[in-house]
Order: sequence, then C-alpha cells, then structure tokens
Amino acid sequence: MTFPRIRTSPLFARGLIILLMVVTLLPFLSMLSAALAPSGTYPSGLEWPADPQWGNFAKAWQVANMDELLLSSILIVLGTVPAAVLFATMAGFGLAKLTTPRSAWFYLVFVIGLTLPFEAVITPLYFEIREIGLLNTRGAIILPLIGLYMPFSVFWMRAHFMSIPNDLSEASQLDGARRWQEFWMVQVPLARPAIMSLGILLFLWTWNQFLLPVVLVQEPNRRTMAGALGAFQGQWGTDIPLLCAGSLIILAPTVILFLIFQRQFVAALLQGAVKG
Amino acid sequence: MTHLENATAGAPKAPAPRPAATRRARRRRRDAVMFIGPAFLIYAAFVIVPLGMSVYYSLLRWDGIGPISGATFYGLKNYIEVLTDDDLLQIIGNAFQLAAWFTIPPVVLGLAVASAIRSQMAGRFGTATRTILFLPQVIPLVAAGIAWSWMYDRNGVVNQFLSLIGLESWTRGWLGDFTYALPAVGIIGAWVLLGLCTMLLVTGIARIDGSLYEAAKLDGARPRHEFRFVTLPGLKNEIGICVTVTIIQALSSFDIVYVATAGGPGIETTVPGLEIYRLAFAHRQVGLASALAIVLMILVLACVLPIQWALRERKQ
Amino acid sequence: MADLKLRDVRKSYGQTEVIKGVDLDILDGEFVVFVGPSGCGKSTLLRLIAGLEDITSGDIEIGGRLVNDVEPRDRGVAMVFQSYALYPHMTVRENVGFGLRLAKVPKAQREQAVGEAARILQMEPLLDRKPAQLSGGQRQRVAIGRAIVRDPDVFLFDEPLSNLDAALRMDMRAELAGLHQQLDSTMIYVTHDQVEAMTLADKIVVLKDGEVQQIGAPMELYEHPANLFVAGFIGAPKMNLLPGKVTAVDGHEAVLSGADLPRLVLPAPEGDKLAAGDEITLGLRPHDLKRMPDGPLELHTDLLERLGHETVVAGHLPTGARLTAVLDGRSPVALDETIRLGFEPSSARLFDAGGRAI
Repeated sequence: MTFPRIRTSPLFARGLIILLMVVTLLPFLSMLSAALAPSGTYPSGLEWPADPQWGNFAKAWQVANMDELLLSSILIVLGTVPAAVLFATMAGFGLAKLTTPRSAWFYLVFVIGLTLPFEAVITPLYFEIREIGLLNTRGAIILPLIGLYMPFSVFWMRAHFMSIPNDLSEASQLDGARRWQEFWMVQVPLARPAIMSLGILLFLWTWNQFLLPVVLVQEPNRRTMAGALGAFQGQWGTDIPLLCAGSLIILAPTVILFLIFQRQFVAALLQGAVKG
Repeated sequence: MTHLENATAGAPKAPAPRPAATRRARRRRRDAVMFIGPAFLIYAAFVIVPLGMSVYYSLLRWDGIGPISGATFYGLKNYIEVLTDDDLLQIIGNAFQLAAWFTIPPVVLGLAVASAIRSQMAGRFGTATRTILFLPQVIPLVAAGIAWSWMYDRNGVVNQFLSLIGLESWTRGWLGDFTYALPAVGIIGAWVLLGLCTMLLVTGIARIDGSLYEAAKLDGARPRHEFRFVTLPGLKNEIGICVTVTIIQALSSFDIVYVATAGGPGIETTVPGLEIYRLAFAHRQVGLASALAIVLMILVLACVLPIQWALRERKQ
Repeated sequence: MADLKLRDVRKSYGQTEVIKGVDLDILDGEFVVFVGPSGCGKSTLLRLIAGLEDITSGDIEIGGRLVNDVEPRDRGVAMVFQSYALYPHMTVRENVGFGLRLAKVPKAQREQAVGEAARILQMEPLLDRKPAQLSGGQRQRVAIGRAIVRDPDVFLFDEPLSNLDAALRMDMRAELAGLHQQLDSTMIYVTHDQVEAMTLADKIVVLKDGEVQQIGAPMELYEHPANLFVAGFIGAPKMNLLPGKVTAVDGHEAVLSGADLPRLVLPAPEGDKLAAGDEITLGLRPHDLKRMPDGPLELHTDLLERLGHETVVAGHLPTGARLTAVLDGRSPVALDETIRLGFEPSSARLFDAGGRAI
C-alpha cells in the first residue's frame, strides 16, 4: 500500500500472527520429532531425539509401498482432473453463453449440488459401482469424483465465462468460427487463469480424497495417498514413529507443490472459498 | 408480407407467419447440448441418480447384501428413527457442536488479526505468513487427524506444554476423554480452517476504504467503535463466506474423526458422516443410513441457504 | 459488395417489440447511417442484419440472397464493435488474420492480406503487439483491419467512435469516409451522434422506438424533416418549434398566429393542405434567423455563446417561449437585450397537429 494508513499497533499484529504461525506449524514439528525417534518406541512430546532415526522414512516408504501409492494417486489425479476440468469448462461456457433465460433452471440443477456432502450419496454410490463392476478399481474413485466435482467446477467456470463480454463471442462468429473453434481458439485461451485455479483445487481435493477410497476400494495400492494413509494407520497405528514418518511422506507431495506454486495455490484456495 | 423470389436461398419458403430462423435456433440448442451434455451426464450418473437412490433406500429396510427386491418397504420409519433415537440425535448434536468449534475460533482469531494489521500482507513476511497459514488447507485432512492425535497423546505436545507451565493435573489422553474428546476434535478443524479464514478476512479488510477509518476517527470513534461500525459491516461478506465454508466442513466432516477418534469414546465424537458409513457398511442398515444421509443434506442446506440469502440481499 | 433489403423486419423480446416493421433498401456501395436516441433499436437492427440475433418476422436479403436463416459467418458481413472486441490473447497480426485462418486461407496469402490491411490503415508497426498495448485509436484501427481482410460484402459499424476522445473522433471520422471511398463497399453505421450521421452518410435512417422516422440524404433530412422528431434530432442547435394556428388561407399565402407568434404571413404549401383553424407547429432553424430591425420575433436574450465564427443567442419571446438563434460572430449582441429577428419565409417549416411535415 502506498498511501498512508493508520496502523493499529503493528507490534501486537505481528505478535498475533507469529503466534498463529507457531500454532499452525506445531503439529508438523511434533510429527517430525516423533518420526525421528527409534521405530517401535513410545516417543515423548516435542524433543529433538539424541539420535535422529532418518531411516524411519525409508522404512515407512518401504512398508507402505510408497512408490505404488504415489503412482496410484497420480493415475487417479490424471484420470479425474483433466476430464473434470474439460467437462466443466465446456458446460460453463455452454451455460454462460449458449442458453436462453428459459433454460436457467438447468444451471440450478448443477448448483443444488454445491453443498452436497459426499456422505449423502456414498451408500448408493457403493451399490452403483458394485453394479457396474468397478468396485476395487481406480475407476471407482475417478468416475464418481468427476461427477461430484461438477457442481463446483461448472459454477466456477460459468462465473468466469459470464465475465467475458459477449462481443468477443460475436466477433468470432462473424470471423467465421464455429462454436467448437470459438471455444478452443478464443474462449479457452482467455479462460486459462480460471482453468488453472480450478485444476489446482481439483488436484488437491482428489489427492486428499479419503471417503471414496475408503468405501469403494479395499486394496490400499489402488487408493489415493490420503486413502492409503487410513489403511497405513490401521496397520501401523501403534508404532508412532513409523506412523508419523509415513504421514509426513504422504503429505509431502502436495506441500512441495504448494511451496513451489504458493501464489497460485493461495489465490485458488481463496477464490475457491469465495465462490464455493 | 412479400417474399421476393430468389434462386440462391433454395429452400422452400415457409408460409406466413414464418417460423423465425428455427433452423438456427435448433442449431444453437444443439451446440448447448453438446457443450453441457458431458458434464450433465456424469453429474447425473454419479450424483443425481445416487441421490435419488438415497431417497429410495431411505424408505426401505434393507441389509445391502440380499437383492434389493427382497427389501421391505418401511415408509418414513427410518426418518422417525433418525429424529427420535437418542444416539442418532446425539450424533447430529455432535455435528453442531463441531460446527461451533470449526467456526468460532477461526473467525474470531481471523478478525483479530485482520483488524490488527488492516492491510494486505506484503513483502517477505506476508508471503511467509500466507504460506504457513495455508499449509493445513493443502494437506490431507487425514494427515491433520494423525498429527493431532499425536499432539493429544498422553505423551504428546499438549500434555508436555501443560506440564511445562505447571498444570500437570490437567494432563490426560484428550481424545479418549468423554468430556474433552469432542472439543479436541473441534480444535483440529479450527486449526485446519484458521489460515483460510484469516486470509479471507485480511484480504477483505484491505479492501475497505482506508478513508472510512479516518472519517470515523474524525467523528471521534474509539477503536471498538471503528471495529463495530466500520470493520464488521465492511467484512460482512467475508464473514459470511467463512461461516459457510466452516459449517459445511463441520457438518459433513468424516476424515478427521475417522482417523483421530473413530467416533469414540462411546459415540462422543461420532458425526453423521461417520455414522452413515458405519450403518451402511458395518451394521448393514442401508435404509437408516440413507435416511440419515438425507437428513444431513437437508441440515447443511438449512444452515447455508439463509446465510447465502442474507449475503445476496446485501449485494442488491 | 452487395445491396441489402429489409422487408417488414420485426424483433420482439417476449412481449416487447423493439423493431416494429422496418422496410429499407440499401444500394450497393452506399454508406448508410442509422441514427436515433439510445434505445431506439438502431443497434438491434444492425445486429439483426449481422445475424447475431434472430429476427422475429420479416425478411433480410443481402446481395439478393435471403439470409434469415443464415449464420453470421456465412452472411458476408464484417462488423466493427463499439468495444472493438479484439481477442486479448492474440497479437494484432493474429487478430486481423483470425478470420482468414478459420477460412483455411494459406499462410502466405493470409500474411499478404493482413499486410495490405495494415498498409491501408497505417498500422504496420503495431502488428506484433497485443491489444492491451494499444491506445484506443489504435485498437479501433485493428478492429477495422479485421473487418477489411475478410473482404465482406457489407461492413457494419456499431458506434465505433464512441469510445474515442473528441479530437481522435474527428480524425477517425475523416478516415472512415476516406476508407469508404477507397473500398467502395456497402457500409452500415450506427451512431447516436447526428454530426457523425450528417458528415458520413450517403443516406441517413432516423429511428425512434423501433420505427423508421425518415430515410434520406443528410441535406434532405436537414431541409425537409418529415416530422417533429426528425426536425428536433437533426441539426445543432435544435430547430425552434413554436406552436400556432392558421387564421386564414388566402390563395398562395397563409396567415399564422399563436400565443408565441406575432401575425405571420407565409407562402402556403401546394395542394390546400392548410385550412383556417388548423393547429400547426412552426419550425425555424436557428441558423435561418437573422437580425432585422422590423423582424417579427422579439427576443429577450439571456444566454450568449460566442464561438468566434458565430454567436449562439438564446432567450425568450415576450410570451415566455424559448428561442435560439445563431448570428454572425461579430454581431453586436449583449445579454439582457431585446433584439428583433426575422427569417426568409421559405425557410420556415410547418408541421400539422400530428407532428408531420406539411
């Protein structure tokens, strides 16, 4: 801010923020300290171990089959996010630019799903997926997730396309573009920021998805990382150092991506909350 | 109406009243269907149809193992059970207690931070703050649950800290304690949502015109007046958003509870999401689970819609 | 290049009819301006011609082809939007060449056409910039260039100059006129600014509430407005309109009087269109009023605008009616002065009680 502001006790503000940061970081630090205690022991609180057992991470990696988990999560994200983003972008465009006021109810059908808790449909989803024969496959996570993401994603993309002036669409029509060409050559390039943010949000939600894998996929190696963590806890829950090491490994990928793309993530999460 | 004959138009002319460019209208509708169709189909297949099935199951008594044709029609009895059974009522009550924990600490602390700095966080400190405060939003909730179960452990940081400040008598296994388990779970949620709410409110307050505060000062406003008459009204929107997000998260919580307490001790921390899962897949009461699911969905709507309406009204 | 015919074109949104049956012939190569106050339907009419909106009934023909059911891209029209509607993510070159790219014109040929348009509009140095890096006037040129490369039968302009500042607007106006001469193509131009209409048009179409008020060459509209609306809309300052009554008609002369009028004797129009007792409105262009020691109008001045080459004088008649006159720039007039004004009887325009010209 360049213009002068009346600052209310900057010291108090800074102190408060630092306190919040400490509270935020504390659980991570306590996990790290536990993860470095000898495996199989009962560590105590937050203390730097005399002999840090970095090998716990390797052990956790091995017993949890992390490489397979990582691959599985990546496959699920690749199956879910691009398709969801594509469908939502198309539908957002269609609902913003191609429908008449008379078909506004169609948009409402999507919007009513915005607040739907996944638990509200998880039971019938189980039977539906069993019926299709996808139980215990990654498809059991991918297909329902795409569907469940539609309300938010369509809402998000439609809001973006509503902000694009109709003139551009009309100009491209006069330039000879068919709808499909207009979509790919004019609308999608302009929607890139919105698409990026949506992609980030959907990536996070997919990677961290827990309920669907727990219900629909028994085999931990076909789950998401988060879903596998549930199984890992069930198996190694009593070995706190190993559990903490495993948890830290499992939350590392998103944290690393977040640290790299900090600005985009923060923007996406903030906007996501505002629009959701 | 006079139609001038012309060779190029080719198509036979429609008699008056002519259908106004119906071919183009049809083409536009076809475009709309083509663009909206895929999203709608997959949404219908995996949300609308299951939702309909949920409603259907909720009227049945079915174990989920035998064929559904063997299920008995149960009318609204499942719903009556959801709304009268003591355990289920307590579980729904738990969700609302969690909602208070998920909502109040983040919003209050967020407001405190926002009104203390009252500007966008800039520079390296700002970036560091944003990054750290957002970390809980980025990690899986399950990981947050595991991290905090270790924090709350008998040997965990919370008890360590209490001992350190001489409150040894207060130490306990927090998540196993009948009185403190639910608040403890609530604080996990508050921890997750704290950063998001704080950043939303900080962004919001930076958007309030600074001259409003100067004007208030000239009018003789004290800090608490400024907060009451400038900050709060200016942040109504952001507060509404925070509350919406936290309430949805609390009412539909599952991950944290599943890993931190599995609903225990007893059913002290069981939430509807977890109970639906248990009823449907462990207790084989698909009908009751579905009725609870529908009730949960309606509860979320009943909490969120009034907030959204209030926000919308203000915008107009 | 093509001519254009509109036959009883109507457009309704739900129950509201916004274009109420427009008939119009536009000749090949003509520059036609649609003018009218905001909300008169001029932009809608243009969009109907472009095909951006469907007509509710009627026929539109371009170059002898009925296009009611033809997509915009196949109508052979190009449009310059008020907002310019340039694609923000494309360079000027890509913007201008986009239509050709869609038409799968080979690259070399495309480059040549873009270069040619850039040359005509003198914007070669801008070709590799993005729209965000251009000034308003430059964007305007790009928008026109995009229309030119498509080599359309009909150019459509939707208030293209309204986002430019006054000086630039005048330059662009001259350039557009030059462009029309150079390309010799049919152009339809929408504006609310009657000066643009007067200076650019071969033919002006005055619209009000979705109905055509008058079609004609600029001077025709100025000299012989068909009704009170056109009379008031075309020409600045506005035509003075004074209500009166015919007291007598005597062969070639009509005698008028009214609350605001002294007794006036004017040449009666041909064909017994006036009769004693008719309510009329007398229209006098401010520029047609002259100072005359024995002029019939007695103006008490209360507003003076000295523009140098002329002086605009406004004031009221003894009855209180407002009147504006444009006098010679050096005319010695003062505020709060009573002057006598007269006019050539032939410059007076008469309108009947329904507002139609007599």
